[in-house]
Amino acid sequence: MPARATGHYRGGMPINESHVGRTYPPTPAYEVSRAKIAEFAAALGDTNPAYAGHTPIAPPTFVAVVAARAWDRMFADPELGMALHRVVHGEQAFTYDRPLRAGDLITATLTIDRVRVRGPVEFVGVTVDVATTDGDHVCSTTSTLVHTRPASDEAATATVGVAS
Amino acid sequence: MTGLPTVGAELPELTVRVDRATAVRYAGAATDFNPIHYSDRAASALGLPGVLAHGMWTMGAALRAVTDWVGDPARVRSYGVRFTKPVVIPATDEGTLVRVRGRVTAVSDGLVTVTLEATCGDDKVLGNAVAEVVW
Repeated sequence: MPARATGHYRGGMPINESHVGRTYPPTPAYEVSRAKIAEFAAALGDTNPAYAGHTPIAPPTFVAVVAARAWDRMFADPELGMALHRVVHGEQAFTYDRPLRAGDLITATLTIDRVRVRGPVEFVGVTVDVATTDGDHVCSTTSTLVHTRPASDEAATATVGVAS
Repeated sequence: MTGLPTVGAELPELTVRVDRATAVRYAGAATDFNPIHYSDRAASALGLPGVLAHGMWTMGAALRAVTDWVGDPARVRSYGVRFTKPVVIPATDEGTLVRVRGRVTAVSDGLVTVTLEATCGDDKVLGNAVAEVVW
């Protein structure tokens, strides 16, 4: 089975325009490590020397690893009734103040920017701000997530989309 | 890279091979363990055409066309894509190939804008793929 929803929808209005502006507490501090940078670069087949040595930076898209932890907060929000396994990743963009470096202690804070509902399909735009625990802003990353709502609770396992 | 590039300049083409091991490696590195990225059973249960590369892998791998070109990845100011088609990874030793081409589409105020095209076979796998680098 795909990763299951952590947010069990409890009735009421599912995600809608009124949730625009909702933000979640920062994720717990995550330490960017040399080992994780090396693993990530290897997975991309990227031998850029900036990702090696004693003071490496992280590949730019590494930010998504931490942003995904902030997504989990939204998926766990029972008021929204969203589930990761019904989400298709539509768009992703990053704007960097600086690269992530080994040793950075970072948190990610998610804000819902846009919600557009078209029948059972919900287009959800979110921004995740990534900053160090000292308050040094590192990156803003935006995503468009396309969530398809099942026709009923019984259909909740009838997956129509997957996270990319 | 020293001289300012001109609009229309083409980046060296990049070809990246992705097989099932690549996807497993990325799952571990990114801690994204959705089984559609390694299990045929999970992928077919969802009606997918096969095991898919992580979209974020495709996005990250495609950016190498830019970072290989400029050298220092710290110069990347922004990068965005739309996920248009998935990269299907056959269960073979060869896997499949993602081909990335890039072209300079704007130069201004110390920023060079590169538009990328990423394809797998006949499929365009990324849309609106644009990176800005500091120059």
